[in-house]
Amino acid sequence: MASNFKLTELMVVRCAKEINDGEVVFAGVGLPLVVVGFAMITHAQNMILFTEGGSIRATAPPGLAITVDDPALFCKGDATFGMLATMAALQRGEVDVAFIGGAQIDKYGNINSTGVGDWSKPESFTYFAGSGGANDMATSGKRVLAIMPQDPKKFVEKVDYLTTPGYLDGPGTRKKLGMIGGGPSVVVSTMGVYKFDESTREMYLAEYFPGQTVDKVRANCSFDLNVASNVKETEPPTEQELTILRGIDPTGFYLG
Amino acid sequence: MAAVRDKRMTLKEAVSKYVNDGDTVYYGGFQIHVPMALTHEIIRQKKKNLNIINASTDVGGLDLLVAAGCVDEMHLAWAMNWYVKAPYAIRRAFQSGQLKRFDLSNFGATSALIAGFLGIPFIPVRGNIGTDMIKHNTTDAKVIEDPFTGSKITVVRAWRADVAIIHAQKVDRLGNVVTWGTRGVTDEFGTLGTKRGVIVTAEEVIEPEEVRSDPDRTLVPYFKTLAVVHCPWGAHPSACRGYYGLDIRFSQYQGKYERSTELLPIFMNDWIYGCEDHAAYIKKYISKFGQQGLDRLKPVLGFEPKMKVDYGYHDPAVWKGVPQYTDEHIKA
Repeated sequence: MASNFKLTELMVVRCAKEINDGEVVFAGVGLPLVVVGFAMITHAQNMILFTEGGSIRATAPPGLAITVDDPALFCKGDATFGMLATMAALQRGEVDVAFIGGAQIDKYGNINSTGVGDWSKPESFTYFAGSGGANDMATSGKRVLAIMPQDPKKFVEKVDYLTTPGYLDGPGTRKKLGMIGGGPSVVVSTMGVYKFDESTREMYLAEYFPGQTVDKVRANCSFDLNVASNVKETEPPTEQELTILRGIDPTGFYLG
Repeated sequence: MAAVRDKRMTLKEAVSKYVNDGDTVYYGGFQIHVPMALTHEIIRQKKKNLNIINASTDVGGLDLLVAAGCVDEMHLAWAMNWYVKAPYAIRRAFQSGQLKRFDLSNFGATSALIAGFLGIPFIPVRGNIGTDMIKHNTTDAKVIEDPFTGSKITVVRAWRADVAIIHAQKVDRLGNVVTWGTRGVTDEFGTLGTKRGVIVTAEEVIEPEEVRSDPDRTLVPYFKTLAVVHCPWGAHPSACRGYYGLDIRFSQYQGKYERSTELLPIFMNDWIYGCEDHAAYIKKYISKFGQQGLDRLKPVLGFEPKMKVDYGYHDPAVWKGVPQYTDEHIKA
């Protein structure tokens, strides 16, 4: 086990473990691109990567893909399509893992990537980029994997703008609205790992990162945090995992 | 329909002739092939009241267009300068009321462009339902009852631009646009769905015979193209597959200017208003960051297709004089 690693590195390594070999993973921009690159050269060599840019590939990109339309994704790829083909596969229900980031998340896993403030009062609203494909992925992917930094302004009681559906206002709502995807399954933050209760659909803390405690995590979460009775410390990454990971993002564009 | 003729012209002529104030403009590219030379020229010509439609864009081109006061409305899914992680100018313009935003998801936006491409009024899409996009953007999306099953489904209205601006690797003088290594992401729909047509900048202008030797790579056929502009580095600082990679450092440099209303005009004066055309912009880049700045963007080449293809043609004239095949069963 390594002792000298960045939190983003632990996030990536831990998040990669949520991907099973052979799955179809639709990766959004940012850290998900690093995670899938890592997974595809470690335990998930039969994973199939889809992106919004239209890349479909069975092998890890030759270098870091910075965006979802990055030339690296189309270099020795299996197919070069546009947005239509990969998003259509999502709508047909063929994507196992929808893998996204975000700016705010609530206890039902609803995600905001549009902005903070009151949208109806523009002078108060600070725009981010917008949905991108996150909404489509989380609506129709069989399960949703989210990765995002944690602080009390990001883990909130109510997202300022609901860009991407989690379980919305609780059990049953996704189904009522005709969503084919199963909803959020795991969230990995800079402090720990969260899962969702099968009956209440509320998020709970399943693991905390080395150096964190349940209390520290709670202090960085603005909603009333549920904690698993068997909550445990996340295993740190190994030296070998870190070497592989740092090889994917040698300039630290995403890993810092 | 634009006739078969030589459509080559300068960047200045193309924008002045084919982009009108008040136009709905399809903004090409995604996170590669962003039409930056055209963005700068639209700013130089102070076009007004544009309505931008697009799925996603990442190098701050829309920030510049908005900051220059060219844009009234944006209908899209994702826009920021990813290399400073913020859409500073868009953010300020929304806050001041200068800019109206109409948000959809990426596939919501793509589906709207596809409906425009198909010539139909609207199209169902799975996403957007249950979110604030549906609440705040009733101009582009509504939830209806599926007439066949009765279940709820989002529909988005068709987006059809007046004119599309795109960048590509190659184009011929007639306007056949050739790309590879990225199928344009949404450009195929945004361009073909236009009401008037497409302005294209390209790294190279090639002979129509070259295009016709490999027509599978044609993204936009000549009849939709209005103007052809030979414009090397026309997507900079975004990437152009096989020609140059993303200029991360320049995007970050530009992004630092985007941060404030005081700083951005300095960038615009130096790099846009102060440059007569895109060649002048690139010349300025070399004088400031050196030839090595541009050289660093050159891709590793040698990724030519290993699969040899032949569009073999069989001439039915060979059947001339060949008697009907027959045997005793089918004889009359």
